[in-house]
Amino acid sequence: MIMLARAGRFALRELRGGLSGFFVFLALIALGVAAIAAVGSVSRAMTEGLAREGAVILGGDIAVTLVQRQATPEERTFLEGEGAVSEIASLRGMARRTDGSDQALVEIKAVDGAYPLTGALDVAPAGASLDPAKPLQALADPELLTRLGLSVGDPLDLGAARLIIAGTIASEPDKLATGLGFGPRLLITRAALDTAQSLQPGSLVQWSYRVRLGGSADPLAVSARATERFPEAGWQVRTRDDASPGLRRNIDQFTQYLTLVGLAALIVGGVGVANAVGAFIDLKRPVIATLRALGASSRFVVAVYFMQIMTLAAVGVVIGLAIGAAVPLLAVRLLADVLPVGAETGFYPVELAIAALFGLMTALTFALVPLGRIRDVQPAALFRDVGAGLPARIRWPYLAAAIASAALTAGLAVYFAYDRRIALMFVAAITGAFLLLRLVGWLVMRGARMAPRPRSTEWRFAIGNIHRPGALTASVVLSLGLGLTLLVAIALIDGSLRRQLTGAMPENGPSFFFLDVPSAEQARFTDFLAKEVPGGTIESVPMLRGRIVSVAGVKAADLKPAPDQAWVLQGDRGVTFSATLPRNSRLVAGEWWPADYSGEPLVSLESRVADGLDVALGDSIEVNVLGRPVTAKVANLRQVDWESLAINFVMVFSPNAFAGAPYTVLTTLAYPGGGDAAREAILMKDAGRAFPAITAVRVREALDRVSDILGQLMLAIRIASSVAVAASILVLAGALAAGHRRRLHDAVILKTLGATRRQLVAAFSLEYGLIGLATAVFGVLAGSLAAYGVVAGVMKQSFYFAAVSAVGAAVAAVVITVALGLAGTWRLLGQKAAPVLRNL
Amino acid sequence: MNVSDAASSALISLSDVELSLGSGPARVHILKKVSLNVGAGETVALIGPSGSGKSTLLMAMAGLERIDSGRLSVGGIDLAQQDEDGLARYRGASVGIVFQSFHLIPNMTALENVAVPLELQGRRDAFVRAEQELGLVGLGHRLTHYPSALSGGEQQRVAIARALVAEPAVLFADEPTGNLDETTGKQIADLIFETVRRRGTTLVLVTHDNALAARCSRVIRIHSGIIDGAEPVRSAAE
Repeated sequence: MIMLARAGRFALRELRGGLSGFFVFLALIALGVAAIAAVGSVSRAMTEGLAREGAVILGGDIAVTLVQRQATPEERTFLEGEGAVSEIASLRGMARRTDGSDQALVEIKAVDGAYPLTGALDVAPAGASLDPAKPLQALADPELLTRLGLSVGDPLDLGAARLIIAGTIASEPDKLATGLGFGPRLLITRAALDTAQSLQPGSLVQWSYRVRLGGSADPLAVSARATERFPEAGWQVRTRDDASPGLRRNIDQFTQYLTLVGLAALIVGGVGVANAVGAFIDLKRPVIATLRALGASSRFVVAVYFMQIMTLAAVGVVIGLAIGAAVPLLAVRLLADVLPVGAETGFYPVELAIAALFGLMTALTFALVPLGRIRDVQPAALFRDVGAGLPARIRWPYLAAAIASAALTAGLAVYFAYDRRIALMFVAAITGAFLLLRLVGWLVMRGARMAPRPRSTEWRFAIGNIHRPGALTASVVLSLGLGLTLLVAIALIDGSLRRQLTGAMPENGPSFFFLDVPSAEQARFTDFLAKEVPGGTIESVPMLRGRIVSVAGVKAADLKPAPDQAWVLQGDRGVTFSATLPRNSRLVAGEWWPADYSGEPLVSLESRVADGLDVALGDSIEVNVLGRPVTAKVANLRQVDWESLAINFVMVFSPNAFAGAPYTVLTTLAYPGGGDAAREAILMKDAGRAFPAITAVRVREALDRVSDILGQLMLAIRIASSVAVAASILVLAGALAAGHRRRLHDAVILKTLGATRRQLVAAFSLEYGLIGLATAVFGVLAGSLAAYGVVAGVMKQSFYFAAVSAVGAAVAAVVITVALGLAGTWRLLGQKAAPVLRNL
Repeated sequence: MNVSDAASSALISLSDVELSLGSGPARVHILKKVSLNVGAGETVALIGPSGSGKSTLLMAMAGLERIDSGRLSVGGIDLAQQDEDGLARYRGASVGIVFQSFHLIPNMTALENVAVPLELQGRRDAFVRAEQELGLVGLGHRLTHYPSALSGGEQQRVAIARALVAEPAVLFADEPTGNLDETTGKQIADLIFETVRRRGTTLVLVTHDNALAARCSRVIRIHSGIIDGAEPVRSAAE
């Protein structure tokens, strides 16, 4: 204890020398901690916003959702018995200019007079509203007016109704609960919806009932009563405490990915920490030797420097926390338009503590091994230049402590993760990358040592510098390699996903999906399309919406699906029936039913979903369709080519399962030889005129919309990963800077011995270039492998190798290494030899 | 022999050399109107108190320090007219330098250190010659050792081998025995004098050690940047 106190005193005394030489160290710790703290704080601000404003987001204390049917009078009476009720219908439709010259897909929300029960609708001009006295009015998303070239006060056609645009929607309190759609919002009255005649039997409409409970009623109790009273209703009940489970899940998942990227930045930074501590110990050799000569034990000296390093790490952590705590101020403002969560900025001590913990653990992990080198410094170093610049012996106790500290950090990362499987994969990937990069560094040095001696002096020096003791090779390969691997992986994942959405429009894939084609009008509509697009491929299938209630007698809530197939159980899915095996499908188990089958209802399941739900042939599945439970036996499994974009469903029933049920038809149209924007626009206009109730979705626009969302997600990932790449470059710069003292010494002696600047520049360029190139090759290989694992393994998508991105990153890596290396070396070249020699 | 005759036949010739170091108020006038000629094969000791300018004079002659004015030529090369690379080529081809602190490159083996000057000249026999040279200084068995694994005397031997491997016309030595114990220092001095005598190399030596200076054919005293006087030239045989 006394020894520690004395060591602390010594440490503080030495720290009086200031923080110079520790810029990179502090920056790296601060950068990683700031990234993790910022991601944690923003995420917490958003999830707290979700929790706090649950009732506003949900539109009430509880919300009950029904698909394709309104609540029965009994159900409605029950809800009204619990509190004030507001009824909302959501569906898609086509809004047209009254002259028929243009139209757009809109997300219709038809509300009653009670809307909004909670929160406020923000409209422009102020005071505009859906006046019950003038029911044929609408409030529109400004985007819709821009697209159709309309202004407030102009008329607009929706189905059979002509509506006047009363104002624009600036913000909609329950936007999240209604869901983000493919088109801009059009808010209308129930009366307007009826006039539009958009609701046909079987229309894809969602009815939602928000209830504002009276007094201190418990939403969960009401929810339980609703399920108990109407077990067959097939409705989904949500409470204000979990207003947007999907968004919450997305935030949690996304937070995890960004936290892991932040942690990657911190770990990359750890390499810089190790370099900085190593350089610091080298610099302090005379002091250490003096302390030893004066009788200090090596344990005492290690304690003195350990305390100094951890104090500096704490300074870095504090800087990082300050930045991390401030970022939400900005982020919440930026996100305000995207997410009407009303996230308030706060101070989140738990998230900041986690970031601080990661920062300190990383510093500890990476500082231990270089600190062990203190034990190599002998008092004799005062008299002779013993051991300076040579690779240190590995001190096993310090290495073991570092490994234990790394394992603890990894354990914490997994413990705090939302999805521990992904976190474990991350830990394994980082560990693997570390070991591989050490191996690559070793191989490069070994290769250089074994290489035949080249004739050129510059090459000989360059190759010698790569393998000599104290070479920069290992630290450059490690620091650059981790950053580059991450960069290549993200670029390739982005490239693969984008290509699937935009680049890889399947040949003969459909240009249009037409929704809500009334079954009675199907023949007329098909004729219309056939006339408009001669030679076009038209496919039509009946479509209903249904939710899986139970599988093999187990309730959906109790099922444990594979994570990548859990979506099947979330909300309702499109279902269809067919007498024959759909196109783009292949039977992999069981047999298709006969065309005239009339026995017990049968269902065909997509094979991956069946695997994910652990369903076998002969199991029963209960689905709630149109409020009616339908139980069917799994007759066969199909493999589906989803990428064809042809119509396909997870569940295809035998036709007798829905005999007599009202349904609409989903129709697709593919142009012969592929569509083009001009022809598609004309058809959309003509179809809108002839069939105003049918909703046309242009595949191209839908994919663009998804691509935009993906672009925003990738932007967030890019920002987070740029932190890791910045850390990588900082580490590289730090490693090169740490090597400068020795470089200066070498360069001056070489100049003294007759080396010209050209020779030195050439030798250094070759050295940095060769190391950069070896690292780049590894980075591209490892990054590609990681991207392939994520795209093909985790996301189950097809992988596309975007060679330009990968090679671009590799070239950038080589250029950065040579540039950073030469930037430092250039100064050395101008240095006069004599003053340096005097001080050496 | 008059001064101009001496200058024309001298290997090293300095005339009215002025040199200051530092800048602003910290600028110090080190060499003041120094004129000196050193003939081929001469061994010259520069002695004087600390701060007298002897090391600076040696550095200027070795092309490591630039003079402010005057004329300084070695082997007919006017050093004031050379750019940095010109000076580097001059050092590589014409001179060898031995420092008090050895200044070996720590991450190169003894053999690699000695081969460097030849490598810089593009000599293909660099390593063969370096090995021979190390053999001549008695380190044939220490070729693959790094400087940190060598004793001070051995490190200075490597430095001498490195300075002489390119067979320069002049060897500059700055306190070559300053960091060594007496016995080792004497061995190193013997090695230097024996080698330069055998090869006919000109030696310019800076030292505080009068005994070492006495082994030179001429001793030049410097005081406050001014040459006090020179003992008479003795023949190498003396």
